[in-house]
Amino acid sequence: MTERKFVKPLKPKVDVNKVNTRILPVEFEYFEPRTVKEVVELLSKYGSDAKILAGGTDLIVRMKQRFIEPKYIVNIKKVKELNFIEDRRDHLAIGAATKLREIENSGIVRKKFTALYEAVRSMAGVQIRNMATIGGNLCNASPAADTAPPLLVFEAKLKIVGLDGEKLVPISEFFLGPGKTVLKHNEVLAEIWIPYQPEGTESAFIKIARVAMDLAKVNVAVALRTEGGVVKSVRIALGAVAPTPIRAYKTEEFLTGKELSEAVLEKAAEIVKTEVKPITDIRSTAEYRREVSGVIVKDALLKAYERISGR
Amino acid sequence: MGSVASSSLKQEGFRYIGKRTPRKDGVAKVTGQMRYAYDIYLPGMLYGRILKSPYPHARIKSIDVSEAEKMGAVVITFKDVPKKKFNIRLVSADRVNYKDWEVLTDHPKYVGDYVAAVAAETEELAQKAVEAIKIEWEVFEPLLDPFESMKDGRPKIHDKILFGSKEITVKNNVACRLDYSEGDVEKAFKEADVVIERTFKTNRRYHMQLEPKVAVAKPEPDGGITVWTTTQTIHNTRILISQVFDIPMSKVNVKKLPIGGSFGSSIQTNLVTLVAVALALKAGRPVKIALSREEDMYEHSSYQMYFRLKVAARKDGTILAGELENIMDIGGHQIQAYPLLGCLLGWFVSLYKWKNIKYKGIAVYTNKVPACAFRGYGNPQITWAVESVIDELAEALGIDPIELRLKNYVGRGDLFWGQGPTVKSIVKSDGVPELLKKGAELIGWYNRPRSGEQKGRFRRGIGLGRGFHTSGAGGRISGEVIDFTGCILKINEDGSVDYITALQDHGGGSLDAHAKIIAEELGVPLEKINIIWADTQTTVYDVCTHASRGTYVGGEAARRAAREVKKKLLEYAVRLLGDVVNPEALSIKPDEELGQGVIYVEGMPDKKITVGEVAREAWQRNWGSIAAVVSYRATNSPPAYTVYFVEVEVDTETGRVRPVRVVAGADVGTVINPDLAAGQLHGGFVQGWGMAVLEDTPYDPETGELMCRGFITDYKITTAQDLPKIDDFTVIFASTHEPTGPFGAKGLGEAALNPVAGAVANAIYNAIGVRFYELPITPEKILKALKERGVK
Ligand SMILES: Cc1cc2nc3c(=O)[nH]c(=O)nc-3n(C[C@H](O)[C@H](O)[C@H](O)COP(=O)(O)OP(=O)(O)OC[C@H]3O[C@@H](n4cnc5c(N)ncnc54)[C@H](O)[C@@H]3O)c2cc1C
Repeated sequence: MTERKFVKPLKPKVDVNKVNTRILPVEFEYFEPRTVKEVVELLSKYGSDAKILAGGTDLIVRMKQRFIEPKYIVNIKKVKELNFIEDRRDHLAIGAATKLREIENSGIVRKKFTALYEAVRSMAGVQIRNMATIGGNLCNASPAADTAPPLLVFEAKLKIVGLDGEKLVPISEFFLGPGKTVLKHNEVLAEIWIPYQPEGTESAFIKIARVAMDLAKVNVAVALRTEGGVVKSVRIALGAVAPTPIRAYKTEEFLTGKELSEAVLEKAAEIVKTEVKPITDIRSTAEYRREVSGVIVKDALLKAYERISGR
Repeated sequence: MGSVASSSLKQEGFRYIGKRTPRKDGVAKVTGQMRYAYDIYLPGMLYGRILKSPYPHARIKSIDVSEAEKMGAVVITFKDVPKKKFNIRLVSADRVNYKDWEVLTDHPKYVGDYVAAVAAETEELAQKAVEAIKIEWEVFEPLLDPFESMKDGRPKIHDKILFGSKEITVKNNVACRLDYSEGDVEKAFKEADVVIERTFKTNRRYHMQLEPKVAVAKPEPDGGITVWTTTQTIHNTRILISQVFDIPMSKVNVKKLPIGGSFGSSIQTNLVTLVAVALALKAGRPVKIALSREEDMYEHSSYQMYFRLKVAARKDGTILAGELENIMDIGGHQIQAYPLLGCLLGWFVSLYKWKNIKYKGIAVYTNKVPACAFRGYGNPQITWAVESVIDELAEALGIDPIELRLKNYVGRGDLFWGQGPTVKSIVKSDGVPELLKKGAELIGWYNRPRSGEQKGRFRRGIGLGRGFHTSGAGGRISGEVIDFTGCILKINEDGSVDYITALQDHGGGSLDAHAKIIAEELGVPLEKINIIWADTQTTVYDVCTHASRGTYVGGEAARRAAREVKKKLLEYAVRLLGDVVNPEALSIKPDEELGQGVIYVEGMPDKKITVGEVAREAWQRNWGSIAAVVSYRATNSPPAYTVYFVEVEVDTETGRVRPVRVVAGADVGTVINPDLAAGQLHGGFVQGWGMAVLEDTPYDPETGELMCRGFITDYKITTAQDLPKIDDFTVIFASTHEPTGPFGAKGLGEAALNPVAGAVANAIYNAIGVRFYELPITPEKILKALKERGVK
């Protein structure tokens, strides 16, 4: 038998001696501000060494995994102005630090924004939903974030606060890539404004995952309004099939003005497949994600349509 | 617990056996008061962390621990541990045990292999110290595929290893092999009407037991050591510590603690236990090491197997031959590869009467996490392959799969050697026909669709899987496997009973079964039986809770101890009752109101005395203790048969499979505890479903790391929401009685899993007409296969 030989340098992708989900052997300074102003000041003071902590269900995990080692932690859970659900006539406003469980239990969300309700219900288990926030889900900017597709189809706006004041950013412009958003290090996501949809709009969310309570292989949300079976307006968004959650604009365009026949749905599914740019990873393959994107868009459209016809 | 449809549950005449009784550890578990190894805190205790190899195959050129020591940590490396090779599992007889492990190594063979360890005042400090150790590595090309590994000219994973006490050289990375033949398969293949040959590849599953491993070691002033750890065997753990560290056994004490599930992952003494001992000895203080989930996933996996299976039959359905080639990817070390080669043959030949048999088994080293037993010990793997091929055979012959099985399975009166060629016996109890008949009725077998003829997006199919597992690893000759147990039973001075055994309960309720057996045999109320959390110093030897032996072997030892104690009790009672002629004139029965066993003379209600009174008098009159010590070797290891009927629904557009209905049938002889037995079948199904459609641990081909990096985010197991509704899961028990088992009982734990993947695979085939030869059968694979076949 031959000697052992070294062929190419092996670079472990994670360090087995560091990664774990229990021990956190790093030190950091911890703050509990009470106002958004204080939050922004702290962020400005400490720059990129600081991180916002909301539910911590992404942040603390990543810290234990040692993928990030912030020196300053700014907990926003004690900031009252970030934790609310409020009906503001033309839109529903949700504070960024509002827990998923509260959103799931909100009657308005369930009734008016069914896709968001369904998305939140599909996330993790109750214990996690009791900690995790909607703002955390968006700012973590996972391509698979489950609240993103519903907010995309409702064309939500995000209120971002920084030292120089506040601005409203359409959610379609918020995500830049995996883990990347337009937020600057000294800005905080404060509110999510979800416009009430025109009368007759229904929505639906579907997630394909390995098991229940899992991250998506593909997720999709649709918001649909029809008149006499003809699509008046439709918006479709998908997650985990591109570097960011995406809208399927071409498919939407194709569907608008058409009757939702089987042939039309089939064609829509075909178009969706050209709009997604999935990758292969441990959760699934690119081919599978592409194929199934078409299928669940169809399913979600039918589900929303049934809701329209059912009332 | 779903519905338990069974005629056998009316086990009349029994007071506790077969009755629903509360679990003795139930309150402590439900209220979070049960103390596991992780809950052990000792004064002055340090926390340990282990430095692992980041490379799949490497050698340490130099190691610098000075920074870690400067932080105040106690550090050990491969230089500080006994220079010995051993096997962490001691169930095999020493002369046939392959030994290739060290406590810490300078030559790691997989990512995660232990090279050094530290202990410090806090776990965080220990973690920092571990990260401060500097190593200069020489990194080798990894071998991640067993077929690649076996080729000539490939890098050597091990140099020299021990076989018993003999040093041997490993050739072509073959860890061990076993060949067997009986009759003439070639001739049979020529004469047969149908011959089918297929290759199969199984998955490499992680056990995902609830409790990641923990070890606490405390050095004693007399040079001894006390250990609390996650283990299925306290005695083998003690023996190994004694052997590796040269400490007399009387000075090594291993405590028995509850364990949070195991599924085979602690049959061996996990290396972390030895590292904790080494650290504690060096530090002179107690040390606790608790593995993280991520580390635990780098500790063990199931054996991944590649089968080539060739079977032959006559037109009338008589099977004529079975040839099996089994290449096992065992990872970086041997735990029980050699006995598994034998057991796998045993499972194979004891499934069906092949008549002519040929077997080749090769265990191959790769630079992966070491494989160890996982519920069923290879049986789920081979049963999946065999049950798939039997269905194919049935289809080719035009015979109903149930009929083909009934014609050829190894059943009552047949020679059975489930545990391999050294353990043979004749089957004495067999509920297979009953389970197949009843299960077929309940699932609607004869109305199932014909494979491949279904239309539409959602297609349902029904599949059958049949299998068995042995009850323990006992036998008439001593063989190559150690299997005996023992216990101590004593009646306390007030009539309560202490039951002291080393046998571990993994959480499935084995010891509850023992308590019921003792109460039944002795005739005292069940609450009088107290199960003691003992240790190696106060118990007699038990090999390990594995091989589904807990109830069958351990329960029989408990029954025998109860019988001995009862004899003494009755002798004393004769003395106390005056004119009773001899112990045979007496009976005992529990009196729930009195809370005592009552000894009485049939038909003479006044002639009676309670067990408590006898115990008290024996004490007060200086007659001595009423106690027994038993050491018991079972001379059989009978098959517990299981049958699963599963209905699935396949979404042909997403490839997703959903279990719709399950009928789980088990022949476990007498059912001791119906709820817990049904629980085993539910749990067996969950694990089997995961094996069939979900679980695997693929490796990063570039770095030799687990693709999931140890995170459960990407190692999924089936959740409750993914299962059929509880009312769609029916459990049936056969009405059998095993003459060699305690009150007629057999084992169950592993049998409950073995046929599941086969049943699921057959159901998927029935639904969509596609057969898969690689596990898991993921939606990705299903969708791809359907597309390739143009199914719409
Ligand atoms: C077991 C488990 C299951 C999960 N399942 C799902 C699932 O099914 N689907 C899914 O999408 N996710 C899932 N997640 C991920 C996670 O729970 C969600 O993304 C959650 O919504 C994150 O919210 P959080 O409040 O915990 O965020 P945190 O962890 O507190 O924060 C996440 C990131 O956002 C930043 N951040 C938080 N709030 C703000 C803000 N207001 N302004 C600016 N930056 C901010 C933080 O600095 C951090 O970088 C799961 C996580 C776990 C542990």
